[in-house]
Amino acid sequence: MPTVEIDGQVYTYDDDRHDKLLQFCLDHDIELPHFCYHPSMSIPANCRQCLVQVGTPERDRATGELVTDEEGNPNIQFMPGMQTSCTIGLQDGMVVKTHRTSDAVREAQKDTLEFLLINHPLDCPICDQAGHCPLQIQAYKYGPEGSRFEFRKVHKPKRVKLGPRVTLDAERCINCTRCTRFTDEISESGQLTINNRGVRNYPITAPGEDFDEAYSMNTIDLCPVGALTASDFRFKARIWEMSSSPSIVTTNATGANCEYWVRDNKVLRITPRQNMEVNEYWLPDEDRLVYDRFNDDRPEGPQVRSNGQLVNANWTQAYAKAAALLGPVDGDRIQFVGSAYATVEDNYLLTQLAEHLGADTPVYMPHIEPGAGDDWLITDDKTPNAQGCERLGIREADMQMLRTRIQNGEIDVLYVLEDDPVASELCALADLEDVDVILHYYNTTNETLPAVDVALPAAMVVETVGTYVNQDGRAQRVRPAKAIQGVNRTLMMEMGTSREDEHGTPFDRWHNESHRINCKPSWEILPQIADRVGLDLDYAKGPQAIMNEVQSALDAFEGATYDAMGLQGVALEDAEAGEPA
Amino acid sequence: MSHFDIERPIVKLPEQQPEQQIPDEELVWTDEEQERIEERKAKYPDPKSAIMDLLWMAQEKYDYLPPEAIRLCADTLDMDYARAYGVATFYTQYYKEEKGKFVLDVCTCFSCQMMGGYDILHYLEEKLGIHKGETTDDGLFTVEEVECLGCCGSAPMMQVTNGPYVHNLTKDKVDALLDDLKDGNMPPFVSVTLPQDEDEMGGNRRSDVEATETYQTPPRSEAVK
Repeated sequence: MPTVEIDGQVYTYDDDRHDKLLQFCLDHDIELPHFCYHPSMSIPANCRQCLVQVGTPERDRATGELVTDEEGNPNIQFMPGMQTSCTIGLQDGMVVKTHRTSDAVREAQKDTLEFLLINHPLDCPICDQAGHCPLQIQAYKYGPEGSRFEFRKVHKPKRVKLGPRVTLDAERCINCTRCTRFTDEISESGQLTINNRGVRNYPITAPGEDFDEAYSMNTIDLCPVGALTASDFRFKARIWEMSSSPSIVTTNATGANCEYWVRDNKVLRITPRQNMEVNEYWLPDEDRLVYDRFNDDRPEGPQVRSNGQLVNANWTQAYAKAAALLGPVDGDRIQFVGSAYATVEDNYLLTQLAEHLGADTPVYMPHIEPGAGDDWLITDDKTPNAQGCERLGIREADMQMLRTRIQNGEIDVLYVLEDDPVASELCALADLEDVDVILHYYNTTNETLPAVDVALPAAMVVETVGTYVNQDGRAQRVRPAKAIQGVNRTLMMEMGTSREDEHGTPFDRWHNESHRINCKPSWEILPQIADRVGLDLDYAKGPQAIMNEVQSALDAFEGATYDAMGLQGVALEDAEAGEPA
Repeated sequence: MSHFDIERPIVKLPEQQPEQQIPDEELVWTDEEQERIEERKAKYPDPKSAIMDLLWMAQEKYDYLPPEAIRLCADTLDMDYARAYGVATFYTQYYKEEKGKFVLDVCTCFSCQMMGGYDILHYLEEKLGIHKGETTDDGLFTVEEVECLGCCGSAPMMQVTNGPYVHNLTKDKVDALLDDLKDGNMPPFVSVTLPQDEDEMGGNRRSDVEATETYQTPPRSEAVK
């Protein structure tokens, strides 16, 4: 194996990978400061921050033999100037000195940073990027202590609306060109360019054009300074006031990995999380702008219908009412509707309940928008878990037939898990007059609510624990990002502990009682109702135990334990859906 | 030493919703131009590389490059409008707005700055009563501050309307140049030779013209204090 020596330590490397030195160092936890380099894009080497000294063993020009000194060590010839490690390919016998071992490198990196900061406004106290800003962090670590630049800085446009979702502050830009390379090479919209030259340049759209592509907000994450900021999130919260929880987005069937950023139990923004098997580094704009539905129009506890009116109830009353509706009815007059929005665990419990009551296997309502997808991260299917339902044996509903059955009065109880039959055009409100409807729902905007007899507020993806299966059959976990009312041990234990002070638990100094929704995850609601109709669905360890049972009982979920899924998910084998192992 | 402060440091945001300057019916290439475009495109492995040629053609055609002219060039080559716009704004030689009849590009890059480039620029600004980037009311002169034009040996220098260079500027020379230009006389092309081959080819290093004035190693500029 060829070797390379970095700061006196020898590493072997795989020649076939054609790794660049910077990427190799990053892969081996050797930090090198850098701004413009991004592993998924071309390498312009224009920030000049990743400078190192590079030497190679001297070879005799005539014979090609290694030249050695008296002690037999190869004679290392260092290149006369500093090299940008992002563009240097690895070479056998190469010797690299980083800032850890070379004063010259340290000086060079410091000088580069001084240059980058010459026209940078240093408005960190009001900058959204502060706290997770590569320029700020690296200026602290590698930069000079002050500036020697005594002249007026070059002033450039600020608060420029590049497009509907991205705002530019050109003064903060260090011209790394990550954003323009993203639009050129990754999203291929070609909407951004670097305007002007020298100290006057900054990224902008062509005149009269909007930066409105479906992936525009990725440039905000790529930007190593605060030049590109999210128009919706600008000045809303400081990074250190929020917790971030690794999870997935549920706006479509891609199951892109993300972080939910929460302050005071409100989701304030959604950013991508790297998963090379799913979304790589990216997240479409439509996935990021859906956080309002986690915060707004949320229900305030369960309700039951009494004398024709929906009235507030406590959870015990709601469970009892649901059980009372289900208990006396003949199984084939109950229709269970699963949900492609709900987790595998919740749907699995629903199938158990349906089986116990002698009802048909639940069906789920499809939410397909033909033509909405783009063959990348946006899909026609607007639900996160259709594949999970299919693998449980829950089939897509024949909407026409189901509608006819409801209209003909063949159904007495309609049990809907986390969906909206009226908005989905399964049936009209009038059709449900003689049907008892039990509904798990997310938002008070749910159009079926006026016809509902038991309304059970369900925890959304940011409040629950569970598993989703994306369109490619990848099972991925979600974790609670914010707290709901009531104490649920499982949820508490799954709350993010990425911070040392265990964010989200009552022991956390950021813990906050405000904006906690009175709802429960369906895997807590369903066993309570099942218990009252004579079915024991007691899973002591909550969804983890449910998923354990699912993966051992069903071929289609084999191997999808919580430990195996971890943060990156598990690719499930193609198996006959719903077949027992 | 030259005054180093940046006089008007605001970098302007280009008009984001510009009004169209050239009517649609004029935004087409003639057959002759089409032919030239095909020729230029054939010169490069990637035809998009011909964007600089096209922008130049458009500038000759319309006198300057409003956004719709840049878009025409981009569309002709089937490339991103934004990218063509980036190219056009990079070079000061492409005029993105209407300029005066004579554009005086004064170099203030390192060598010219050392030799008094800013003095020349400010002298011009005062004399014409305009700031850099502006055009005189009579539409005759535009003063621009530009980066290195590759003629450090005869600094300070300027270029007149993307044409001939005027070397070794002094205030007197500027006065004379302005008078000449007002009379409609462009300065002559001056061939810059290296001292060692000033005698060769009669000092004329251009093969496409019979003779040019030849640059002589100058006396020290008055602008140097």
